[in-house]
Amino acid sequence: MVKPRVLLPFIMLGALMLVWALVVQTPVSAAPLPQQTEQYCLSCHGDPNLKMTLPSGEELSLYISADHLKSSVHSPAGIECEACHTDIKTYPHQPINFQTKRELSRSYYQACRKCHSANYDKAQDSMHAKVAAAGNLDAAICTDCHGAHDVQAPDQPRAKISQTCSQCHQDIFTDYKHSVHGSALINQDNPDVPVCTDCHGVHSMQDPRTAQFRTQTPEMCAGCHANAELMKKYGLSADVYSLYQTSWHGVDVSVYKANWPTIWHESAVCTDCHGTHDILPASDPASTVNPNNLLATCQKCHPGAGPNWTSAWTGHNKIDPQRTPFLYAVDRFYVQFAQAVLWLCLIYVILQIIHAIVDRVRRSLK
Amino acid sequence: MSAVNSAAPTTRGVQVVRFFARFTRAQRWEHWLLFGSFTVLFLTGIVQKYRNESWSQNILTTPERLALVQTIHHIAAIILTLEVIYHLGRGIYLLARRKMSHDIFPEWQDVKDAGRMTKYLLFLTKKTPKYGKYNFEQKLTYWFLFFSIGLMVISGFVIWFPIQVTSVLPGSVVPAAKLTHSTEAIVAGIFVLIWHLFHVVFDRLNLSMFTGRLNEDDMRKYHAAEFERLTGEPADPDQGGQA
Repeated sequence: MVKPRVLLPFIMLGALMLVWALVVQTPVSAAPLPQQTEQYCLSCHGDPNLKMTLPSGEELSLYISADHLKSSVHSPAGIECEACHTDIKTYPHQPINFQTKRELSRSYYQACRKCHSANYDKAQDSMHAKVAAAGNLDAAICTDCHGAHDVQAPDQPRAKISQTCSQCHQDIFTDYKHSVHGSALINQDNPDVPVCTDCHGVHSMQDPRTAQFRTQTPEMCAGCHANAELMKKYGLSADVYSLYQTSWHGVDVSVYKANWPTIWHESAVCTDCHGTHDILPASDPASTVNPNNLLATCQKCHPGAGPNWTSAWTGHNKIDPQRTPFLYAVDRFYVQFAQAVLWLCLIYVILQIIHAIVDRVRRSLK
Repeated sequence: MSAVNSAAPTTRGVQVVRFFARFTRAQRWEHWLLFGSFTVLFLTGIVQKYRNESWSQNILTTPERLALVQTIHHIAAIILTLEVIYHLGRGIYLLARRKMSHDIFPEWQDVKDAGRMTKYLLFLTKKTPKYGKYNFEQKLTYWFLFFSIGLMVISGFVIWFPIQVTSVLPGSVVPAAKLTHSTEAIVAGIFVLIWHLFHVVFDRLNLSMFTGRLNEDDMRKYHAAEFERLTGEPADPDQGGQA
């Protein structure tokens, strides 16, 4: 055992080191090193006339607006030029050897992966990446939707999302703009209506023309249309989905969804009757499900259906004495009748069984 | 109907059993058709009715199987429909010729029999009613299935050919027919399984629908009034029936 007096200087030294560490070291390492490249780069790239010509003959502007950078999400957060342009370390730069502007974009957007790897990977599984792999180099990459030097929050305001998609999908946007969803979004900045990404997904959007997407459509619409609180706000029924599921169409679709999701099935899903991007309220005279247009909509799948046909469709309504009196009467009858038959049969047969047992017991006791 | 064999001269040590004709060959054929088509329709029907359930989806493993089950259902439906048309046609023919036997039609006596039988089952009386050719249980079986199958055939064709049907009838018959077809099938299925099967198999094994005849003991015991009407002899009071 070492004597305490021998240890004392070491304990004192240790205590001093601890105090020094706390007082002196901590403040020094607290502030991160600010990136100072932006100012440096802009000393050249702030010139609006700075440009070069690519081998394709395209003129590539090398001007970067300081205002764009300031208003982006990155620069004010201290994420400056070299965070993305990792290959540029010195001046003069290494020469770039891209043939076209698109080739340059398709190379530079890969820098997004450094920080946004989850969304980047999702995008690599998307429809956009698939068509790009098939040769369509115009298919959207990160910067096409988010911008490059002027990256901003993509959903402020919400309508911005649809505007972004419309850069390529102009026809669909025109349909959407006039639909019940699109007009509420664009004219009222409605927070409840779906924008493109609510149905198609963000980053990982898939081909909406597949059997899988088709059989998932009812669940997708149900995401909002089965939400009682949300539907109440607009005076809509939240039972449309649950009633659809019990309908002929709905049961067929759910069987295919459960068993054969990749096999195409014609049984109607929401969009077959209501339209897709051009959905209108049923009360609108132009709606495909307006009473005046309903027969024509049914005839798309049921050619030869006559004027009585549409009343065979109970709509997304519960069995109701006013709306469907005949169906209501049949339903009421069976509720009573089925129970009566079951119980009367059972009681009578059980009485017979009891009587037979009692008879046998009596006979054996004789 | 008359007795098949009248009493033959008895020899000592030999017991002669008399049988009583009950169903014609044609009626037994009808029953076979009904039995076969009803069973096939019921089984292929519930698989479709419950096609959202996992047990059903274990059977309907491919879209082709679903189509096959539907085709079998439709073939059986046509067989049953032909049988119904034959049965009704023959009934109308017999009625028109005033040759229809009255045995199967419900009478006030059946209500009284049902009340008396209920009393018997509740140990309030010791005697079972003296039944005619068909007791009220059997008449109920016939008429219940008569109307059930009628509804099933009509509603089945409505949902099989909805476009043609709604060119004549209002559209509301289609969802009503769908509900009827789906529910009546279960009601009829329960009825056959509980009521009919119990009475012809477990209560007493009654194979007369297959053999076409009933022996003397069963006639005396279960159809005493019919026995007395046919033979002029009293049914043995010890074997049941009213004294």
